[in-house]
Amino acid sequence: MYQNTCSIDHTCVTCSDAGTPVRVLSVEGDDALCEDTLGNRARVAVELVSPVREGETLLEHGGVAIGRIGEADPKLSADNRMPIAPTEGGYE
Amino acid sequence: MRYVQEFRDAELARAVSSEIAALAEPGRHYKLMEICGGHTHTIYRHGIKDLLPEDVELVHGPGCPVCVLPMGRVDEGIAIAERSEVVFTCFGDMMRVPGSKGNLLEVKARGADIRMVYSPLDALRIARENPDREVVFYAIGFETTAPSTALTLQRARKEGIDNFSVFCNHVTIVPPVRALLDSPDLRLDAFIGPGHVSTVIGCRPYEFMPADYGKPCVVAGFEPLDLLQSIMMLMRQLKEGRCEVENQYGRAVLWEGNTKALESLAEVFELRPYFEWRGLGFIAQSALKLSPDYAGFDAELRFASPKVRVADPKACQCGEVLKGVLKPPECRVFGTACTPERPLGALMVSSEGACAAYYNFGRKSYEKVEIGSKTGSGE
Repeated sequence: MYQNTCSIDHTCVTCSDAGTPVRVLSVEGDDALCEDTLGNRARVAVELVSPVREGETLLEHGGVAIGRIGEADPKLSADNRMPIAPTEGGYE
Repeated sequence: MRYVQEFRDAELARAVSSEIAALAEPGRHYKLMEICGGHTHTIYRHGIKDLLPEDVELVHGPGCPVCVLPMGRVDEGIAIAERSEVVFTCFGDMMRVPGSKGNLLEVKARGADIRMVYSPLDALRIARENPDREVVFYAIGFETTAPSTALTLQRARKEGIDNFSVFCNHVTIVPPVRALLDSPDLRLDAFIGPGHVSTVIGCRPYEFMPADYGKPCVVAGFEPLDLLQSIMMLMRQLKEGRCEVENQYGRAVLWEGNTKALESLAEVFELRPYFEWRGLGFIAQSALKLSPDYAGFDAELRFASPKVRVADPKACQCGEVLKGVLKPPECRVFGTACTPERPLGALMVSSEGACAAYYNFGRKSYEKVEIGSKTGSGE
């Protein structure tokens, strides 16, 4: 998340179409306090994915949640899942 | 690390790699284009190319928004940034993008108030804290980033912050892909679709690719296994004679996209009649500008920025690289006159640019390129 902020010398997370999975710790109006997989915490705007609940995992980009992680698309066919099932948090 | 580590599993990667090799028909050469610059970065950073058979070639597409920005738009931004009343905010990559007379980093060194931000919401905060200054945000990016700008403008209007404006350079992904497909010198078998753009727009917008051009497309995530699996899915389609849009990134992308984000985009933006893309020329309806309801926040109107068109340096072959006609090291100035430290072409500026990614992570492959191919003659 913010630890990977835009820099001149490294990847620009915003320009690179990057998205960071973040877990919702608490919801505060249109924002939520979120934590990324490295434990960094920041406020994220959540209007575009509301309503949001504590414990959900969101996809954050440029300080804004643009999607949820874990809502498997029903159109993903069984044939195209991984040859060996990944651990939890995979395709289902 | 959930959602990360399980998609970097080496054993799984080898299994998928073997299946890709098994799907490749002997004697057939496959050219797959990854549209997104983030995918290009992952491919080089994680050595995906080395896990593929020699006959499966990855071609880097136009999906780095910094790289496709024409020099004239950089100059227009710089002209705004140089105004004494302006606090100019932008993403990190933009700081080094060369305009015709330098870049934003150099303008900042000469005294302009230019600040790097992570989010347009950070720019809005600066405007809130500095009511006596004009705060301008240099908006750039595809449909992944445009919702952040839209949401920021909606908040600015709701809060009545009138010293904030946006210099809008947001672009859309489908028109340039269609332009590429219309290009007579392009030879591609299939496409890896951009994962996070698709989080917003969904998968339906890509249906023209199989329907109108007979090209399969798989929307992919950004971890190494995501990319390998998407390549496997494309190879399966090609092997089985299928041609459709599939979604590999099902844990984040819904077929219909994010409807709230799309509504936000529709309220704040409208399509420009045309927009210039570096290396690709003018493409109809390929970029966004602020809608009439939000015109008061439009920096182009507020500061009457000069409309200039600047040709790329003659030696630069970014256009051919963007279209996949040349590989980065086949450009005549790659690694010599054009390096990440002193970029000549836009593809060398951003770390997601095909040339910078190739330069930073693909040197081993670069060394394999024969000297004769650096004349720019292509394949």
